[in-house]
Amino acid sequence: MIIAERRPIPEILRNIENYQKILVLGCRGCVAICSAGGDREVSIVAEAIRLARTLQGKPIEVLEDTFIRQCDPEYLEPLKDYQGKVEAVVSLACGVGVNLIADLYPEIRVYPGVDTSFYGANLSLGEWVEKCRGCGDCIIDRTAGLCPIARCAKNLLNGPCGGSQGGRCEVRKDMPCIWHEIVERLKARGELEKLLEIWEPKDWRPAGGDGLRVRVREDLRLNGGKKPWR
Amino acid sequence: MEIKSHLEELLSSGKFVVTAEIGPPRNADPEVIKKKAKILKGYVDAVNITDCQTAVVRVSSMASAVLVMSEGLEPVMQMTCRDRNRIGIQADLLGASALGIKNLLCLTGDHPKFGNHPQAKPVFDLDSIQLIKLVRGLKEGRFENGEEIKGRRPYFFIGAAENPFAEPFDFRPLRLAKKVKAGARFIQTQIIYNVEKFRKFMERCRELGLLDKVYILAGITPPKSLGMAKYMKYNVPGLEVPDEIIKRLEDAKDKKEEGIQIAVDIIQQVKEIPGVCGVHIMAIEWEEAVPEIVKRAGLYPREEAPSFMPPFVVEKVVEKVVEKPVEVIVEKIIEKPVEVIVEKVIEKEVPLEGEMAEEKIFTLIEILSDLKASLKSLKAGMESLEEGIARLEEEFLKKKEARPIRKEVIKRPEERPVERETFIEEKPKIEEKVEEVVVKPEAKEVKPEVKPEVKPEIKPEVKPEVKPEVKKEEAPEEIKPREEEKIEVKPVIEKPEAKEIVEEKTKVEVKPEVKLETKPEPEVKVEAIKIGGLKGIYRPLSERAKNLPQDLYMEKATGEIKEVVIGKGDRAIKVGGVSTLNFHFFEGEMKNGVKFAFEILDIKPEDWPESLSKYYRDVFHDPALWAKKCVEEYGAEAICLYLVGTDPNFLNLPPQHAKKVAEAVVKAVDVPIIVWGSGNAEKDVEVLREVADIVGERGAVIGPIVEANHRTLAAVAMGYNTPVIASSPIDVNLAKQLNILLENMGLPLDKILMDPSIGALGYGLEYTYSVMERIRLAALFAQDTKLQVPFICSIGREVWKTKEAGLPTDELMGKAESRGILMEALTGVTLALAGGDLLIMRHPKSIELCKELFRGLSMS
Repeated sequence: MIIAERRPIPEILRNIENYQKILVLGCRGCVAICSAGGDREVSIVAEAIRLARTLQGKPIEVLEDTFIRQCDPEYLEPLKDYQGKVEAVVSLACGVGVNLIADLYPEIRVYPGVDTSFYGANLSLGEWVEKCRGCGDCIIDRTAGLCPIARCAKNLLNGPCGGSQGGRCEVRKDMPCIWHEIVERLKARGELEKLLEIWEPKDWRPAGGDGLRVRVREDLRLNGGKKPWR
Repeated sequence: MEIKSHLEELLSSGKFVVTAEIGPPRNADPEVIKKKAKILKGYVDAVNITDCQTAVVRVSSMASAVLVMSEGLEPVMQMTCRDRNRIGIQADLLGASALGIKNLLCLTGDHPKFGNHPQAKPVFDLDSIQLIKLVRGLKEGRFENGEEIKGRRPYFFIGAAENPFAEPFDFRPLRLAKKVKAGARFIQTQIIYNVEKFRKFMERCRELGLLDKVYILAGITPPKSLGMAKYMKYNVPGLEVPDEIIKRLEDAKDKKEEGIQIAVDIIQQVKEIPGVCGVHIMAIEWEEAVPEIVKRAGLYPREEAPSFMPPFVVEKVVEKVVEKPVEVIVEKIIEKPVEVIVEKVIEKEVPLEGEMAEEKIFTLIEILSDLKASLKSLKAGMESLEEGIARLEEEFLKKKEARPIRKEVIKRPEERPVERETFIEEKPKIEEKVEEVVVKPEAKEVKPEVKPEVKPEIKPEVKPEVKPEVKKEEAPEEIKPREEEKIEVKPVIEKPEAKEIVEEKTKVEVKPEVKLETKPEPEVKVEAIKIGGLKGIYRPLSERAKNLPQDLYMEKATGEIKEVVIGKGDRAIKVGGVSTLNFHFFEGEMKNGVKFAFEILDIKPEDWPESLSKYYRDVFHDPALWAKKCVEEYGAEAICLYLVGTDPNFLNLPPQHAKKVAEAVVKAVDVPIIVWGSGNAEKDVEVLREVADIVGERGAVIGPIVEANHRTLAAVAMGYNTPVIASSPIDVNLAKQLNILLENMGLPLDKILMDPSIGALGYGLEYTYSVMERIRLAALFAQDTKLQVPFICSIGREVWKTKEAGLPTDELMGKAESRGILMEALTGVTLALAGGDLLIMRHPKSIELCKELFRGLSMS
């Protein structure tokens, strides 16, 4: 899922400095699961804003709402009801949600309430770790399912660098050297020769090097779709 | 076809080769590189130029390679994948080849995290193996995309690196095989200290049939000091330094000599290993060691390179400038790469016409900025001068009429120069004596051009063989051709215009200025330190609470605070080791009690109130005497040396100053020492690194380490095996976080003292108390192992800077001295109750007071 982190309250406050009435809008998608922007966080952020503004002597009215998702135009429909009622929206959805609101409702002033961080897994309560970088050209079939693009600090493709020591990465000593693990696993499977051929330089276009990434499934599209995309 | 590089020629004819390494400077000074090249010339067959090693910005490898070539030495250009994508890499490779660079070492590169721009976006578009393959492709006439190179193809003798000691160990030879397959022709290995492991690695390479395909050069580094060896052992991933090497250095009297010998021994051993075709000597920032090592290893002389011809001839113009007010002589060497393909034309006149018509102010700016630039490249000892120049610049640019600038070149009697003096009637009177050292017809041509407006940037034509001014005070007869720049300072204190700068200079050297003031010292009667004991009779808790069941008031801790040993030998002290809240003797033990350290400063204190100063004034001028007094008169069991003078926002004294003071203190006392830096994260790294070299073997504590500098300082601490102070801003989580970070670096928890950043009585004491108490409760009762570390509290500093401690005696505030003592003692006692294990205090009486109270509290 997409992992996000709540932005520091002072930064949120700075963005809404001049407003008297705002909406804090959560999302029940990824950000709710990673405890950054679900119902609970909406009420926490809203309360923090109220408190801070009261302290500043500039009380503010903060409405709270949480949509099922913010990455679908349909789910954003109810936002129309807030149009004109609030001066700004602080969205606790990932960057996708904020962008889509900005795209669909140009008259609404929307501000991000979270920093969108990475695609990760929830390892244990309160811990999320990156597992994928969305590079658009999956290679983990050759690396025992472990991704060196996301998990090697140098994105190496031809084996561990000289900094691998004791199975740890020299850049993040608290993290395993993913290449060490790949080597160990393939060795155990008797497939080490997979690593002996030289891996060619990666094509980074699917990773975004080619501009905005778009996916189309023609069979699902209605009436020729919505080109150009915005 | 292309001509092979000298290195390739030697290797392919079966000669045992020697290569070395040059780290380019972190400024634009070509002389640094050339100087290093000169040292190595004749002793090595080729020299590697690092590509911003450890991700620190330096002169680029390509530019340095060209400079090295101009010294007649063959370069091995290093290219990493860290900073360029495949477009940048190929562009640079074409350029390098066009400039005549023939050897290339392909590396992945150190991650930016380890460098001085950790914020940089790491590129790593390719990895080292893909890079090798790309270079081979270029040689064969195609770009990475497969497109054909039309016209001249680049030619490179391709090298790669391999670390025989990195893990997974058995994959390393396979990875080397990949590099060979990709096109690597020679390999330079990681530094070898563990020869046996390297032998195994080579054996495996032989089995894989690699030795016939690639030339392997063994990496050798002479350890320059014990600290460096330890640093490499603990901090450089994939570098194995056996204990035996550490032991050799520990036992050696002359560490440098031993370091060289270690390198020579390793060379002798690896030479015998089949497949080793040469050695690559990486004398990090110690190029001078290379010739000695090469000689001793019996590898001298080297085969002459067949008339090595760089595509560039570098023309030299030497300019000498003397700035009177500062008394600085700067000799600059300006070089212009000129496309000369003629023979060895070194002497060529510089056209001056074009430079004549500019305004004076710009010339001034230029002189001064040139001066500044030259100055920067000099060693730290000259730092103070920089300020002087900056000041001058400001002075001149603001009101340049105010002072005449005198610019002259000092002449030497040995030569019979044509001397010219030009006076100009304009306001900023510039008096210039240009000295032509070599009388040549060109000199005459220059003459008329100088007249109209004397422009400082007119470069008096001087041939490279010119002998620059010699240090007068030292050895007037010593006249050697020298090309490196030189700055000279003469302490001309009488001259009023020089005074400003001189004063600034003396500020840096602390000791002399203080001495004078301290002589006529008013007789201060220092009262006896002893304090009467506590009144009353002690009744143990067991008696007082005899009517209560024990489990009502007793709650035993489940954790224990680690014990940290400070110092070495008989006088070493232990702190921590408590298994209860402090002074809860009915619940557990306080093995080591609360310890105290007397705080001394590296400079004369300026703001200490009289009530405190009077105890130490006689020794303020000398930290060593000061420390001695604390120990001998006041019974200090530890000394905390607070290096406040190094604070960039205060006196900004250089690390050398700190080192000197530490050296003196270490010599003067045998009690454990705590060295506390200025608290500026960046400066502390420089300062403590120097100081650790002195105090390290005494087991002294160094700090404060904060999150911003924990990486480097933890490495320093591990290198010298010293305990550290982990400093965090009054917060449980931040304190814990820092301990975790340090532990992750490899520093064990029993080498850490936590400094929670304390507040004095009336200045946040309650807050400190509650944070410390929470940390201690978590450590003792919640098994929070990362917090089971003793507290160190710097109390004196916080108390004695308060307004209340400094106010004079009056009716409202009472007696000044007892007020200060009580404030310090109360803060100390409070924090000891909160869990403080080691208290750093200043007033001998407040320390005595605390001790007395703790003795009372300990009765049970």
